[in-house]
Parts: sequence; C-alpha cells; structure tokens
Amino acid sequence: MKRPVAVVGVGQTQHSSRRADVSIAGLVREAVDRALLDAGLEHKDIDAIVIGKAPDQLEGVMQPEQYLAGALGAHLKPLIRVHTAGSVGASTALSAVTHVASGLFDRVLTVAFEKQSEGNAMWALSPNLPFTAPLVAGAGGYFAPYCRAYIAKTGCPPHIGPLIAVNARANAARNPYAHLREPMTLEDVMNSPYLWEPIRYLETCPSSDGACAMVVASGDVAKKGPRKPAWVKSGYSYAEAMWVPGRDQVSPRAGRVCAKAVYDKAGIRDPWNEIQVAEIYVPFAWFEAMWLENLGFCDVGQGWKIIDRGEQKFGAHLPINPSGGVLASNPIGASGMLRLGEAALQVMGRAGEHQVPDVKNALGHAYGGGAQYFAMWVVSNEL
Amino acid sequence: MTKLRNVAVVGFAQAPIVARDEHHTAQEMLYPQVRRALADCGVERSEIDYQVAGSADYIDGRPFGFVSALDVMGAWPPAQDLHLEMDAAFAAYYAWLRMQAGDCDTAIVCGYGKASEGEPRRILNLQLDPYYQAAIGLDPVSTAALQASQYMARSGADDRDLAAVAARNRAAGARNPEAQVRAGASADELLATPWVVAPLRQGYLPPLGESAVCLVLAAEGKAETMCDRPAWIHGVDQRIELQTLGARDLSRSVGAKLAAEKAFAMAGLESAGAVDVVELSAANPAEELILCEALGLDAQASRPVINPSGGPLTGNPLMMTGLIRLGEAFRQLSGRAGARAVDGAKRAIAHATSGHCLQQNAVFVLGSDRRWS
Repeated sequence: MKRPVAVVGVGQTQHSSRRADVSIAGLVREAVDRALLDAGLEHKDIDAIVIGKAPDQLEGVMQPEQYLAGALGAHLKPLIRVHTAGSVGASTALSAVTHVASGLFDRVLTVAFEKQSEGNAMWALSPNLPFTAPLVAGAGGYFAPYCRAYIAKTGCPPHIGPLIAVNARANAARNPYAHLREPMTLEDVMNSPYLWEPIRYLETCPSSDGACAMVVASGDVAKKGPRKPAWVKSGYSYAEAMWVPGRDQVSPRAGRVCAKAVYDKAGIRDPWNEIQVAEIYVPFAWFEAMWLENLGFCDVGQGWKIIDRGEQKFGAHLPINPSGGVLASNPIGASGMLRLGEAALQVMGRAGEHQVPDVKNALGHAYGGGAQYFAMWVVSNEL
Repeated sequence: MTKLRNVAVVGFAQAPIVARDEHHTAQEMLYPQVRRALADCGVERSEIDYQVAGSADYIDGRPFGFVSALDVMGAWPPAQDLHLEMDAAFAAYYAWLRMQAGDCDTAIVCGYGKASEGEPRRILNLQLDPYYQAAIGLDPVSTAALQASQYMARSGADDRDLAAVAARNRAAGARNPEAQVRAGASADELLATPWVVAPLRQGYLPPLGESAVCLVLAAEGKAETMCDRPAWIHGVDQRIELQTLGARDLSRSVGAKLAAEKAFAMAGLESAGAVDVVELSAANPAEELILCEALGLDAQASRPVINPSGGPLTGNPLMMTGLIRLGEAFRQLSGRAGARAVDGAKRAIAHATSGHCLQQNAVFVLGSDRRWS
C-alpha cells in the first residue's frame, strides 16, 4: 500500500429473517447512515463507493447498485460493484482499501448487503453447472462432505460441531444486532435433525436480511477524525481454481496462502499469540475448527482440540466470533463485511457488550465459492 | 494531486463476436483468449501478479458463473483475484487503481458471458428499480427509445441523423474481422428497417452477441518488456448517476461529461478533439450522439475517428463491450488495428457504460507515450 489506510466508521443493520419494514434501499441506507454517523461524515464528504453482494438471484434484482445509486448517495460519484461469492463482503471492503491506498480517494464508503427474504436462498445457491450432475442442495449440501472429510482426517469427535454452535449463540446474546440470540444447550443442538450429515439444523447459519457499511479513509483523515480509527495493517483476496486434482477442500491452499500474506504484511509471526480476537466466516459450525487450522492458529488436526478446551470462547485465550458470527446472522453478501467490521470495532474498543479487552490486532476473514475465495484483513489499534 | 504511475495496456485478445457459439461454454471461449493475450506479451501466467474479471450472473443464467472462470484465468496455484459484477472495463479500471496503490505491477482483465443462453431484453428489465420501474415492463430497448426521443426533441436530430450514425458504424464494422455484423448498410437501407421501439429501428440496434476477452495491463518497468508499443493510460475516471429515469435529463449524459472532464484533466488533455481515435460504448445512434456531446466531440468531423471498429452497433457482447473499446484503443495505438487502423494514431479515448440509458460511464484516455516522467 502506498499510504496508510484506516476504518473511521462502522454501521450495521438489525439483522433478522425478514425486514419487512424496509425496502432493499431502506436496508442498505440503515447501514450507510449508521456508518456515516459513526465517522462524523456526510454523503458530500464521500469520494467513491464500493458495494458488494452475493448472487443477484437472491433478490431477483440484476446489478442492484444501479437502482441503489440514489440511496447510496452515489450520484455523480465513482462506484464499483464487487461479487466474489460468500467472501464478497470482505473483498468489497478490501477494494475500498485499494481505492484509498491509491492516493486518489480520501474517504470511501463501502457497503455490503443481502435481503434474502426477497427471494429463495436455497434456489439461488444451488447452481447447476454444465456437464455436472445437479446434486447440490444449497450451500450445506455442498459443504457437508468437506466437514465429513475433516472429521475423518482428524478424528474430530461428534460433539465439536454442537459446542461451536452453542458458543456462537452465547456470544450472539451479547450482540444487539444479531439475528439469532436465544441461548441453546448442547442437547438442543445434538437433538436437532441433520440437514446434511454431519451438519445439524442448529449447526447451520440462518437466512438473514442485513447490511453492513464502513467508511475507509486515508491516514491524514483518520488522524483528524472524532474517534480512534482501526488501522488496516494488511488485506488480501486470493482465489483458487475449481477443477484441480491437487486441491485440498478441507484446508484450501488459497486460504493458507492468503492468511500467510496477510500475517507477513502485518508483521505477525505467531498469530495464536499476536492476534487477540478473530471474526471468521463460519456458516456451518464445523468450519470453525477447520478454519483455525487453515488460518494457521494451530497445526493440522489441532483445531477441534482448541474448541474442546474452550480456548475460543469469550474471555478465553483467542475469542472467535464474539459477535456470534455467521451462525447467528447471515445476510450472505454482508456477512464478510460484518466480520471485517466487527474486527475493526474490536480494535477501536467500541464493540460494546462483546468487546474483548486489550485488543491490539484483530483478524477479519471470509470465504466463498466452493471454499475457493478467501479475503481477510488484520486491523490494529496502532498505525 | 497524488503522484501516479505509468500503466499501459500491453496485450489484448478477443474471440470474434458471434450470435451464438453453441460449441463452447463461456470458459471455453475465454481460455484461448487468455493464452493468446499472454503469448502476445511473451509471458506465462505465473508472471502475472493479479487477475480481475467482469461478468454478470444473470447473463450466465446461474449464480456464481464467474467461479468457473478461475480455472481458465489460471488461479492455480491460488492467485490474487477479484470479480466485478460489471462490464469488464470497470475491472480494468480497478486493476489500474491497484497498480496506483502499489499492490501489483501486472494484471489480466477478463470479460465473458453467453448472452445467447437467455433473453437479455427480459433479463435486463431486472436492473430497474424492483418496486416502481421493473414491474411496468420496461426493457433496455424501450428505455433507450425514451432516451432517444428526449434527445431528438431537444437537439432537433431526426431519423435520418440516426441512420447516418448507424451507417458509418456499419461501414467501419466491415473492416473489423472480429465484428459480428460485417455487412455494410447505407443510411437509406437502415431507414427502411422496421421500428423495434420508435424512434429506434432494427438497423439502429446491435444484434445479440457473445464473445470472450482478455486484456493485459502492466506498470512502467514491466510494460516495455511485454509490448513493443504499449498504450499508456493517461487518465481515467468513472461516474454513476441516479437510475430513476424520470429524475434524469435523459437527453444528456452528465455522468459521461464529468468522467471525461476528470479523465482529461488527469491526462493533461485539453479537449476530446485533440485525440486521434475514440471508441464509444454506444448501443444505438442516439447514445453515440449524446456521448459525443458529453465528451465535446464533433460527430461530423473526420478527426478524431469515432468507432473505427464499428463499435457496439456491429457487436455488443454484454459485460465486455466496454473492455473491447479499451482493447480497440490499444490496437490503434500499438499498430495492431489492421485494415481499420487510423493513420498516425497517438492518442485515443475509450468509453464504457453500465445500466439503462448510460447510467454509469467510464472514460479512459490513452497515449503512445508515457504520461508522467
């Protein structure tokens, strides 16, 4: 990056299964208004807009940024629309960072959303690829075999998925924006039916309406802002091909390469001890154990043991998803930006009830496609 | 202003635009273009730092269509990557920004999509405001006709003026081996074609087409080693406007005008008339006249030459029409334009658009010499 970049404002909506009180534009505007208010800025201060969301089929509006230009305050401003599957919220925020780092823009508004109640997510997430049997039943049907492979490879015991799901709910209870906040017990999860074995109903993310927005600014702007910013130490998006014989879909190479690039650039040698909180993209509980390994927090086969020991809980060594994460709220396109935004709030010290004490470095992470797209950043409380 | 890097277009390959390639998927159409563009630059994929693509799921007729392109763009081992749900010209703009940020020195930019898999006129209706505008059945031809009517009412341009613009593009397209429509047509012949939606006649609109394109960008230091005559980007800007058709003066493109002013200022270009060649993403003659006005071009003048490729009227593959304009500008400046070469071309403008009625516009200024020392 040519110059320092920081997050100076974060806003998110109330997430729920059906935000019937707002239009698509109203939902997006709720997050945008909160981010601008948080940054102490107005639309006129914004130099460019970077917007992202997952497949347009989710709402049935093609390239909705065109219709949303007014609600975004984008009239006569530069705008780009990003789409990198589930990772899109994160890659969108990173594209805003590029805008500021280029030196051409000082304050960039970035926003990501999904209003899943407008359509049918199960249908929209079941692509029928040419020359391939149409076996996919939504994202869960696609990812369940990876979870099974993880269990087979590492000996991960059957209570790990439920432990992760219970912890996510316990965390979400401390997050006023979360969609699912009702506490649940290990038994509740164990007794819930399999949707796609080994993934049970209560180990599955909800389908949510929600949006997240941030204002990303140059170092000079950030230093003059009303509040302490979150400094972007590093951020990368990597993707890997689909039909490669050597692919490891349990611990994808793109995830490992991306994490290494992000840590190297941020000067982090030992992520387990140098990162104080991580918001990672866990749409199905088992992925939390898988990503702990993929992200280099532990060796292969050790991820589930961290969960078993409870070292990822709120108040423990490395709190994972103190916001409740994707298991508590999943407006797909926004979910990645929520991870990056929550990481920013943690280093700003403004995460409210789910604030982790003394956070210097936080990781925000998202993935998408057939576990092919990875986008992450490390933010810090120091330049 | 911030100090900018010299970045150039150094390679471009395009599949000939056809109505329907029934033998190949979008990815199979793209792969040879990636290989040709890299071979043209004398590099392997492993020497490219970054890849970015532009396409649309709704054109593909399925979600995540772009995911399959990772394989043919060369994302193994894993590659730094981004995908925009836009015309791939905006992906080129983003790659340029990334080079300005110092994050990469070389990039491939791909555009793809098989419009023939669906019915674009019905599909593009879904770009409109879902609550108030999509539901009344507007499609891109009917909105373009509203715009053309408004332009004609304000400017006094008539049916014959539109036919003359279309005829000039048709004559040029006959010299472009990759154009879809290669038969010339006179203004009188075009005037005799039936209305699709008045005042737009069949002869004023491009047929449905598909292609696949790959453009290579490189920063100074690398560009010279990859291309004998790089086309340097002197200036670029892009702007979106409100969509709401009733809230805009459709007879003018204030967004294109502003983007041009900003791009010209960055390029140190006094006016559009000072370049040699202009490639506009105008999908009908009224759009071309509106864009000429916005950019400050005299549509009647012999220089700069407007759309020597035949422009979108002779080939309009959705989501890559804009990137093809950038590729055509490169071909003109690098001596690769064949029978359609504009004599002594040293500077060019390439334009891209997105949405109904020129809602979003990007303007690139290119030159055969470096912009900044």
